Amino acid sequence: MGNPNVGKSAIFNRLAGAKVMESNYPGTTVDYTKGYMRLENKDIEIIDVPGTFSLEPKDKAEEVAVKMLKENKDAVIICVIDSTKLERGLYLALEIIEEGYPVIIALNMWDIAKDKNIWINIEKLENILGVPVVATVAVSGEGIKELVSKIKEASPANIERIVERAGGLEK
Amino acid sequence: MRKKLSEMNYGEEGIVKSIEESLRNKVAGMGIRVGTKLKMATKQPIKGPVVVTVDRYSISLGLGIADKIIVEVEE
Amino acid sequence: MKLTVDERWDLIDKITKQVVKYGEYKYTLKDAIAELTVKPLTGIPIAIAVLYGFWAFFGAFAGFFTDGFFVKLFDNHWLPWLQGVFPGKGGWLYYIFVGDPKADNCFEAFGVLTSGLFVAIGVVLPAIIAFYLFLIILEDSGYLPRLAVLIDTVLHKIGLHGFAVVPMILSLGCNVPAVVATRTLETKKQRFMMATLLAIFIPCGAQLGIMLEVIPEYVGLVMIYLLAGFFIFGFILNKLIPGRSPEILLDIPPYQMPIARNVRRKLWARVKSFFTVAVPFVLLGVVIVNIMYLTGFLDWLANLLEPILCGWFGVPKETVGPLIAAFLRKDLAVAQLSAIEMTTYQLVTSVVLVSLYFPCVATFAMLIKEGREEGLKGVLQYLFGSLLALITVVFLWGGLVHLIWIILGVA
Repeated sequence: MGNPNVGKSAIFNRLAGAKVMESNYPGTTVDYTKGYMRLENKDIEIIDVPGTFSLEPKDKAEEVAVKMLKENKDAVIICVIDSTKLERGLYLALEIIEEGYPVIIALNMWDIAKDKNIWINIEKLENILGVPVVATVAVSGEGIKELVSKIKEASPANIERIVERAGGLEK
Repeated sequence: MRKKLSEMNYGEEGIVKSIEESLRNKVAGMGIRVGTKLKMATKQPIKGPVVVTVDRYSISLGLGIADKIIVEVEE
Repeated sequence: MKLTVDERWDLIDKITKQVVKYGEYKYTLKDAIAELTVKPLTGIPIAIAVLYGFWAFFGAFAGFFTDGFFVKLFDNHWLPWLQGVFPGKGGWLYYIFVGDPKADNCFEAFGVLTSGLFVAIGVVLPAIIAFYLFLIILEDSGYLPRLAVLIDTVLHKIGLHGFAVVPMILSLGCNVPAVVATRTLETKKQRFMMATLLAIFIPCGAQLGIMLEVIPEYVGLVMIYLLAGFFIFGFILNKLIPGRSPEILLDIPPYQMPIARNVRRKLWARVKSFFTVAVPFVLLGVVIVNIMYLTGFLDWLANLLEPILCGWFGVPKETVGPLIAAFLRKDLAVAQLSAIEMTTYQLVTSVVLVSLYFPCVATFAMLIKEGREEGLKGVLQYLFGSLLALITVVFLWGGLVHLIWIILGVA
C-alpha cells in the first residue's frame, strides 16, 4: 500500500514478474490487481491496491484499498513510500502499523531523493519503527531483491514502543 | 493575523492554526495539519481552487474547503 | 493503541527530525514549469496549447498512416484481390464477407473482410495508437492534475470538479475505462453524472478516428456541439440529481520525465486490448448488420422508424442500419453512414446521433457493472437513470441539430 504516485504498481510488477495482466487503465490505479511471487519455493499471492493518503477513504478507489486491507487480516503489508515525501508516506504506514499489521517499508524513488539532496538514515528509521526498511528504485529494479529477502522479517510493531523510541509525544 | 486559508494572498506564507473537525482526517494524510507551514502557490480566478505548498508537496483545494482552514499569517 | 491525527503527525515530525537530512534545495527547471503550468495567466494558454497539440498530433498521426498507407493498401490491393478470389460472387456468404461486388473502396463494400478489417486496422488502430501515445505521456509526466486544477472552476459549476477531467479525457480514447475511472470521484452523485454524461456525449477515439476520415471538415463542429451538450445537460442533471458535490482536494505530484519502457508497456497493453476486445466487435457488427440486410429485417425497421428519423431528425431512413451497428461499435456505424447517400448536413446530423445514441455494448456493460458496485439499487439507478437521460438527450439534442439546419436553410 502507499500514497498515490509512489510507484506501487511498478514495485508490484517487479515482484510479480511479467506474468501479470495489466488490468489497470491509464489515469490512476482504481482497482486491485492480484499476482503471484515465488518466495522460498512457495507461490505467494500479492495484491496491488489503489493509492490512498490515509485509511479514511475519500473516494471509491481509496475505498478499494482500505477494503482490501480489512479483508486480508493475515497479510504482510509492503508500504511503498516516495523517499522525497517521507512524512506523508509515514502517516499511512503508521496508520497501518497501528492496525496491527506486519509491515515492511520500501523507500522508493531513492534515486530521485538523492538527486534532490534528501538523505534518509535507513538504519535509524528501522530502529525507531521496528520494521524492516529497504531503499528501492522500482523503475530500475534496484533494491527489489533485498525487499523480497526481508519480507519474512516483517512483523507487527508496537506503536507505544515506537513513540518511546522516537522520544515521546508533546503532551 | 489570523485568516482563512482561502483569504491568503498569492505568495503569502502562514502556519495552520485550526482545521474544521470534519475536514481534519481528510487532509491529514496529504500533509496539512495544525502547526504546519504552508504557502499559497496559486489562486484560480472566478472562485476557482487554490494551490498551496506544504513541506514539499503541492495540494489543490476547492475554495469551500480552503474556507475551513484557519492560518496565522505574519504581517 | 491508536493515535489521534495530531499525535500521529507529532510522532512523524519527531521521527523525521532524527532520520532525514535535507540538503540545499535547488530550484530547477521542473519547478519553474510546474509553476507556469498551474498559474492561471500562463497555465490556461498552455493548457489550450497542450490540448490543441493533442488534437493536431492525433489527426496528423492517424491521417498519415490511414490516408498515406492503409487506404491505398486496402482499396488498391486488398479489395480487388479479394473480390477476385473469393468464391460465390452474388451469394450470401460473399455478401457477408466481401460485400458489394461493385464497390471500389473499402468504406462502401461493407463486408467483414473488407470494411470490417479496414475500419478496425486501417482507420481505428492508428487513431488508438496516436491517442494513447499522447495520453500516456501526459499522464506519466504528471500534467493531468494541473489540467484538473485549471478546469475545476468550469466543472464545479455543473456539480463535478476538476479531477473529472481525467475520466473525460480517458473517454476520448474509450468510454469503458472512463466509466471505471469515475471511481476517483467522491460521491455517488458525481460518479453517476460523470458516467452518464461521458457515455452520451463523449465520442471515443475509434469514432474520432473514423470521423476524421469521413467528415474531416466537420469534426470540430461536431465536437463543439457535443461538448456544449455535455455542459448544458450536466448543468440540468446537477439540479435534478440529489446528493453532494464535494470540491476538489487533489495532490499535485511533481513533473517527471516519462520513462520510455513504461510508455511502451502501457501502449502495448492498450493495443493488445484493442485487438482482443474491439476488433472482434467490429467484425461481428458487420456480420450482424449484413444478416439483417439479407433477411429484410433492416428494411422493415427502416420503414417503421421513417417518421421519426426523417421527420424529427431529418436523416434518411437508411441510417437505421448504422444506428443498429452503433450498439456494437460506433466507429463501424460512422463508417457505414459514409456509404449512405445523403447531404453533408444529414451526414453531420447522423454522426451526432450516432455519438449521442446508445452507448456501445462494452460501455453499457461497464455502466451496469459500476452500478452494481453501488448495490442492486445502484444497478437500477444507473440503468434507468442513464437510459432516461439518454432518450431525452437524443431527442432534444439530436432534434436541435435538425432545427439549426432548418433555420440556416440548408436542410
